Amino acid sequence: MKKFIFSSIALLFLISTGSGMAGDISVGSVTPLTGKLAVYGEGFQQAMLLAADEINAAGGIKGNNLKIVFEDNNSTSKGSVSAIRKLITIDKLPLIFGPASSSNFLAVCPIAQDNKTILLAAESAAAAITKCGSYVFRVFPSDLLQGVGVAELTNSLGYKEVVLTYVNNDWGVGLAEVFKAEFTASGGKIIDELPHAEGKTDYRSEILRMKRHNPKAIVNLTYIKEGATILKQAYETGLNVQWLMGSASKSPKLIDLAGKASEGVIGTYPTFSQETPQYKTFKAAWDKKYPGKKTPVFGEYNYDMVKLTALALESAASESSDDIRDALIKASQGYIGTTGDKSFDESGDVNASYGQWTIKDGSITDYK
Amino acid sequence: MTGYYAQLLVNGIIAGSIYAMFAVGLAMVYGVFKFINFSHGELITWGAYLTWMFSSPPFSLPVYISVVPALLITVGIGLAQDRFVYRSLRQSNPIAILIASIGLSYMLRNGIRLCWGSDLQTFDLPLSTGILLGGIYITKIQILMVLSALLFFSILYFLLTRTLLGKSLRAVSDNIELSAIMGINMKKVTWTIWVLASVFAGTGGILLALDTSLDPMMGMNSLIKAFAAVLLGGAGNVWGALIGGLFIGIAENISVAFISPDYKDFISYGLIFLLLLFKPRGFFGIAGGVR
Amino acid sequence: MDYFYHILIICLIYSIFAQSLNLELGFTGLYNFGHIAFFGIGAYTSALLSLNGVPIPLAVVGAITLAGIAGALLAIPTLRLSGDYFGIATLVFAEMAHLVFLNERDITRGPMGLPNIPRPDWIGSGISSLPRFLIVTFVAAALTFILLRRITNSPYGRSLKVIREDEFVAQALGKNTSLIKTKAIVVGSVLAGLAGVIWAHYITYISPADFTLQETILVLLCVVLGGKGTHLGPVVGAFVIIFFAEFIRFIPIPSEYIRFVAPLQGMTYGFILVIMMLKRPQGLIPESRKFTTTNA
Repeated sequence: MKKFIFSSIALLFLISTGSGMAGDISVGSVTPLTGKLAVYGEGFQQAMLLAADEINAAGGIKGNNLKIVFEDNNSTSKGSVSAIRKLITIDKLPLIFGPASSSNFLAVCPIAQDNKTILLAAESAAAAITKCGSYVFRVFPSDLLQGVGVAELTNSLGYKEVVLTYVNNDWGVGLAEVFKAEFTASGGKIIDELPHAEGKTDYRSEILRMKRHNPKAIVNLTYIKEGATILKQAYETGLNVQWLMGSASKSPKLIDLAGKASEGVIGTYPTFSQETPQYKTFKAAWDKKYPGKKTPVFGEYNYDMVKLTALALESAASESSDDIRDALIKASQGYIGTTGDKSFDESGDVNASYGQWTIKDGSITDYK
Repeated sequence: MTGYYAQLLVNGIIAGSIYAMFAVGLAMVYGVFKFINFSHGELITWGAYLTWMFSSPPFSLPVYISVVPALLITVGIGLAQDRFVYRSLRQSNPIAILIASIGLSYMLRNGIRLCWGSDLQTFDLPLSTGILLGGIYITKIQILMVLSALLFFSILYFLLTRTLLGKSLRAVSDNIELSAIMGINMKKVTWTIWVLASVFAGTGGILLALDTSLDPMMGMNSLIKAFAAVLLGGAGNVWGALIGGLFIGIAENISVAFISPDYKDFISYGLIFLLLLFKPRGFFGIAGGVR
Repeated sequence: MDYFYHILIICLIYSIFAQSLNLELGFTGLYNFGHIAFFGIGAYTSALLSLNGVPIPLAVVGAITLAGIAGALLAIPTLRLSGDYFGIATLVFAEMAHLVFLNERDITRGPMGLPNIPRPDWIGSGISSLPRFLIVTFVAAALTFILLRRITNSPYGRSLKVIREDEFVAQALGKNTSLIKTKAIVVGSVLAGLAGVIWAHYITYISPADFTLQETILVLLCVVLGGKGTHLGPVVGAFVIIFFAEFIRFIPIPSEYIRFVAPLQGMTYGFILVIMMLKRPQGLIPESRKFTTTNA
């Protein structure tokens, strides 16, 4: 047994010295490739790889190839911590793309900050991330903005009394709190508020409780799977209301799963015009590399994140993280990516404008 | 407002009839072999996923036909559990059989993940508003669930009381050694128990998946409910399991009117605790034995 | 190098956790399938206390005390139950604890988890803190080892084994078996709580998702693989399992296959549990059965 342990320790060291080839500039990525977020993780990875391919096809960074070292985090905070420790200390990477889901991201951000490693987020929305530190940036807008957006949507549709339900996790709770504050401040009333657990297959009890109040509109801040199940079961139970949703459920998959029950849903999302040349280039490149595949949720953000990183690496004075960080802040100012303006403010956040989406005749369109 | 409670009651009966189907197999295995089969829940999951597999491409069989091969394979898994694991452990330390069953359950659950991913899946059935019966909504699938439970329990009643096989099953659960001495064919009895347990669990799983959706944890979650039902009914008691299942289903659903739905699962958990503490022999019938 | 420190720290934390389960499962024969609950109670209590300004040493003491009290509260009513009922009661207890962590948002912040859990100043938080943290964890693991060795080699420890082999015999010998078992569970829970405390202050972030059945399986595997009822077994088990899990990171797997890794790993864990029970129930390090001959 002792032999086994010693030989595996030896092996660990052996491998650890071998990573990182000459002629490559490597950055790390902690990505949920397995576990409950794996549904999204694959899409993030494809979008990042698309950006990297384009960068390398155009001559790479200072003549070197950009390489992304992917580490799986099993969609857990424990996995994220292990993964980032490996990327920082064994691969010695100055810049890492952080994990999806705010709770996993929050678990790793003190480690990145302490090790002076730049951490970038492309899909974590929690307001708390703003306070993570000077080495943490995100190309995705904070919850704060979206909560305000949903409240504005509700008001603009003339609903004064709503039932609020949200997925019981960091993202849902954070968003719901911002919504609640904003909506009640503007004179709205929340008749009932109930969280729903993540990943259940049966939400009938929750739906019956919502139905009991005979609401005209229900604000449902949730994910795709949970959203689809709720819409479907509400439809079966004869609950006929206006559903108002957030950005995380804006996906063709919602329509696949919920069918006609999803018809007429209205939601908000951090918008970026799909008419810009940047978006069109992205879409064309995506369709070429992954023919027949729909662009993934938040794929555009991941794509922008890698593109912006490449710009920073190109202009950085050295490969030290401090130089890259300065270059990153500089490169971001006025940078217009697929998802719009990515200028980082002093806390490393970006601004965004919110659009409204709806489902009409089985497809997602802008709500006007 | 009464409509609200009536709807909760109906939902409870529907959920309960499925819990009862899960509980029967658990109760029978416990009654005869005297151990809690933690991997019973995986029979539920595999039954559902296999049906889903046969009903989607490349097989694309209609759901009612894909049930047949799916249940056959589920029965195969049930029998294999016994043949390759539990049979060898029957004479050994009880702790070994328990750890083996928890390991087996983990293995089978990850097998589901390997084949079909962790993602939620759904049967592609046409969506329709439920039938409105006196202010209560009920879907066709839910009617099918209750009817299937009724049918299965009727068949089981007939089997246990009117056939020689059923009688030997009851004898074995009363006293396994004595029955063997009396010349009861143990092989046949063992076989029957695992087939029944697998068919009940698999069918329940399929119905549950048709009603909601499939996910790898569905079996584990249902197992705890089924266990609560078994305890309520008195371990090893088939009819107790039926009543216990219905009770848990109804209690859980009615409770939602009073507590947050987040704590819905707490009802069955809490019940398990209270029963273990005060009535470890169950409310209905005498402990032990397939009745 | 500090990645290596990191793995060692994780190994040691799991070795404490596994040793605590071993006292119950290996030495006393109590199938505790909800041991993660005590790990979680320790982690949450210490994190919450220290986040609210309680000095860390006090928070640690508070946390392991609460874990011990929770153990006693679980033990007193459930110990009357026969073995497999005890198993299910503990499993359910862990599920309930998880639901409380998840839903009592006013206290635990629910699914958002608790970030920025403080550490003592003399350990610090940066990279340089790792060796110091490693030493602390090592001391805790070593103390656990010595403590459990003392307990199990004492007359009390021998009565635990008698209970495991045959509770009626123990009763016939005039032992108060339920008191003896309760003590074992309290000690086991305190040590599991200690492991949870170290975990919380090491990772500095905890959320309910860290305390699930998955972890129970993992620690069960550490004990069973290493050898239940031995002193060194769970420690070896923890090192083997954690090294194995981290080792997988270094196998170059094409990204399109990487999603198969976790389920395969899970299947392997389950398979090992089954095969160990069938072929080598004593684990890698078999328990010496000497005492039975000298004592019987």
